[in-house]
Amino acid sequence: MVLALVFLHPLYLAALTLGTFLAVWSAGGLKTWGIYLRFAFPLALLLVAVNLLANRSGETVIWLSPPLPVAGRLAFTLEALCYGAAMAVRLVCVTGVFCLYSSSVHPDRLLGFFSGLAWRSALTTALAARLYPAMVSSLYSIREALQTRGVNFDGGSAVERAKNYSFVLRALLFCSLEDSLQLAEAMQARAFGSGRRSSYRREEMRPRDWLVLAGCALSGTAALAGFFTGWGSFSYYPRLDSISLGGPEALQLALVSAGVVLPAAAGWGWNKWEFLRSKI
Amino acid sequence: MGLEQMGVFKIENLTYYYPSSQKPALCEINLTVEEGEFLLVVGGSGSGKSSLARLLAGLIPGFYGGRIGGRLYYRGEEVLRGKGGIPPGEVGIVFQDPEKQLVMTEVEAEIAFGLENLNLELGEMRRRVAETAGFLGLGSLLGANVAGLSGGQKQKLALASVLAMQPRVLVLDEPTSQLDPACAEEFFNLVRRLNEEMNVTVVLIEQRLERCYHLADRVVLLEAGRVLVQGAPGEVARWQAENGFPFLPPVASLFAHLGFSRPPLTVKEGRAALGSLSVRQGERAEQVPPAAGPSPARSLKKAGPAPFKALLEMKKVWFAYPGSREEALRGVSLEVQPGELVAVLGENAAGKTTLLKLAAGLIKPGRGNVTVAGRDTKELLPHQLAGKVGYLSQNPGEYLLQETVEGELLFTLASLGREDDGRVAYILEELELKTLCRTHPRDLSSGERQRAALAAVLVAGPELLLLDEPTRGLDCRLKSRLGELLCRIAQKGTAVLLVTHDVEFAAEYAGRVVMLFHGRIAADGPAKTVLSSSFFYAPQISRLLQGRAGEPVVTFREAFALLQSLLKTPVPAGILP
Repeated sequence: MVLALVFLHPLYLAALTLGTFLAVWSAGGLKTWGIYLRFAFPLALLLVAVNLLANRSGETVIWLSPPLPVAGRLAFTLEALCYGAAMAVRLVCVTGVFCLYSSSVHPDRLLGFFSGLAWRSALTTALAARLYPAMVSSLYSIREALQTRGVNFDGGSAVERAKNYSFVLRALLFCSLEDSLQLAEAMQARAFGSGRRSSYRREEMRPRDWLVLAGCALSGTAALAGFFTGWGSFSYYPRLDSISLGGPEALQLALVSAGVVLPAAAGWGWNKWEFLRSKI
Repeated sequence: MGLEQMGVFKIENLTYYYPSSQKPALCEINLTVEEGEFLLVVGGSGSGKSSLARLLAGLIPGFYGGRIGGRLYYRGEEVLRGKGGIPPGEVGIVFQDPEKQLVMTEVEAEIAFGLENLNLELGEMRRRVAETAGFLGLGSLLGANVAGLSGGQKQKLALASVLAMQPRVLVLDEPTSQLDPACAEEFFNLVRRLNEEMNVTVVLIEQRLERCYHLADRVVLLEAGRVLVQGAPGEVARWQAENGFPFLPPVASLFAHLGFSRPPLTVKEGRAALGSLSVRQGERAEQVPPAAGPSPARSLKKAGPAPFKALLEMKKVWFAYPGSREEALRGVSLEVQPGELVAVLGENAAGKTTLLKLAAGLIKPGRGNVTVAGRDTKELLPHQLAGKVGYLSQNPGEYLLQETVEGELLFTLASLGREDDGRVAYILEELELKTLCRTHPRDLSSGERQRAALAAVLVAGPELLLLDEPTRGLDCRLKSRLGELLCRIAQKGTAVLLVTHDVEFAAEYAGRVVMLFHGRIAADGPAKTVLSSSFFYAPQISRLLQGRAGEPVVTFREAFALLQSLLKTPVPAGILP
């Protein structure tokens, strides 16, 4: 995600998006990404449209609008269109990274990983993650109970509906307080708060985990080198830079791409290739 | 003093008051729990059973505060005034509701939670997690999300998370109240293995005694915070029968009331006892004396086909929750007529609650139709069915949001736009809540809460009453009162459809039983026929008399009358519970 936010070069962004796509695919998260994109696509189109309308820095005019009241004649430039498109691709890539995170990282495990450092915060977060769905379910149950007693949540004025929902919140508050007391009792019964505490770690580093780390290190180092040398930089305004890459830049892009693709390749190997699966 | 003399726990003259309570929850308790013993604690609601469990688990007074007097010894050490208290992890407790005792989102993390609190080494934790999960058959679920587990799996996980701590004493506070009969049986088998093979001392508090009474080495009966009697299960059974206490499995209760000095505790023992009687094969149930005939709800079915039009009609109903690939209900067709009392039985997650929600119009069928009093629920919003349909969910707490019990009933009437025409007082009287009408609903006991929530539903005078697990957490007496109340309601023409895991309750009070498995109706018919032909869902009485009488017998009264006539021994009048 950091790389997607650092690079603006179209080829780099394309390579990063492709790498993200492959990683999401190998993690079995394409369907979830599709759901994310349902929300992200309109936003991406809006980005392109707003940039095209609002940005006046480009010099290559591709269309001049008829005179408009207040705004006058609007010039749509190739540079603004390309910059908007790059931002849209960046957004798609970032949603893919979030999707990859939710598909492959279990919140309990991540918290468990950090619980040795800040176990109170980790436990509080784990409890919140556990109790939030239960509270939502309780909210719906209370609403249903009130509906069967004649409370109307589907009609009436805004004041009436607010009043009716205040009944739901009151019952929810009572129930949540009682539930939290019971949970606290159960936790104390399991020796919580009895003294020093250890941390249960389930994570084991396997070759495929090292491969993922190596991929991240490779692309990170290559990107860092590019950042300091200026490779991979691209300017959209006032005129588009040339998209072609020099020898060192092409090598850097290849290294960044290889680093990004490596986790996806490891995932693919794990899923599809018995021999590789036995080795990683 | 050696452990042999002291026991694991020794309680001397212990009295305990919860904070701001003037009535003792435990009163002058004297009790010893021996090493490796299986102790069963029975008693009514508010008798102090859960308080005793919390005391043994170190939660009283540690978690609750309050005033305490007397002495509590754990393995010879005084723990109330001593410095150390009960060492962490030595006593484990499993509560009634698994949902409210699980902390983490993943099974493996949940089992490890207690071990982390004991500050164990990683290798030791891994060994214990693996061993415990293997013993309880949770190995394949270690990576599973807790929210996706069934009720039985969640309670097993709660047990696993306690067992991983390797407690010397396991306290179980009504651990099977939310489990279907098969899961409850499996749970008790595990507990028995722990006690017999691992030498874990077990203190069990339970209301559904038919599965566990015989497992106990000793039974303690509590009443109003005091130990009334304790001893071998048979002795306590006899004492209860002589003194009119109902905390017995149906078979023991039946024989005790027939005057047996050593009442059998299991179906096997009961059938052996019956073998000595001159039970005539092929004897017709019609010979049962009319005075001890069927329960009131059943008399409606006895009268032949009901003359009424169905109040609730479900036609080939299919339903799937959003995001779920599996249908919760699959082609269910069901009719319920006015005056019927229908019990729906089935495994956890069979679709029973979904069935009730569809009948209440809270959810709409994907395919098929649900009509209430001739109106399709698809055309109605849930509040438009209120008043005609009453629905009480599994959690009565969801119905309690006013300052007083009376306020809850008035709230229902106000929501329906109705005036109180004396109905509130009538319902409060009917449900024995009159003395509690000014009490805050959250200060009530679990049984009282159940009645208060039911009152808030009944005050609307529904024609169709839908109840989800109404006997959960109720003792024998309260269950009996609830059963009689439901029979009276049904006799007045209300259709009652209730979901329960309590086979004995269904056998005693329902006229008709529907068995739901995996979203499909597996059986639907008169309670007597359905229950007596079931293997796992047959009540104890039915198992006892299977093949002994010409017609199936499922209720206590029928069995009592039959055996009384066979014994040809006069039994004092008024002995029936």
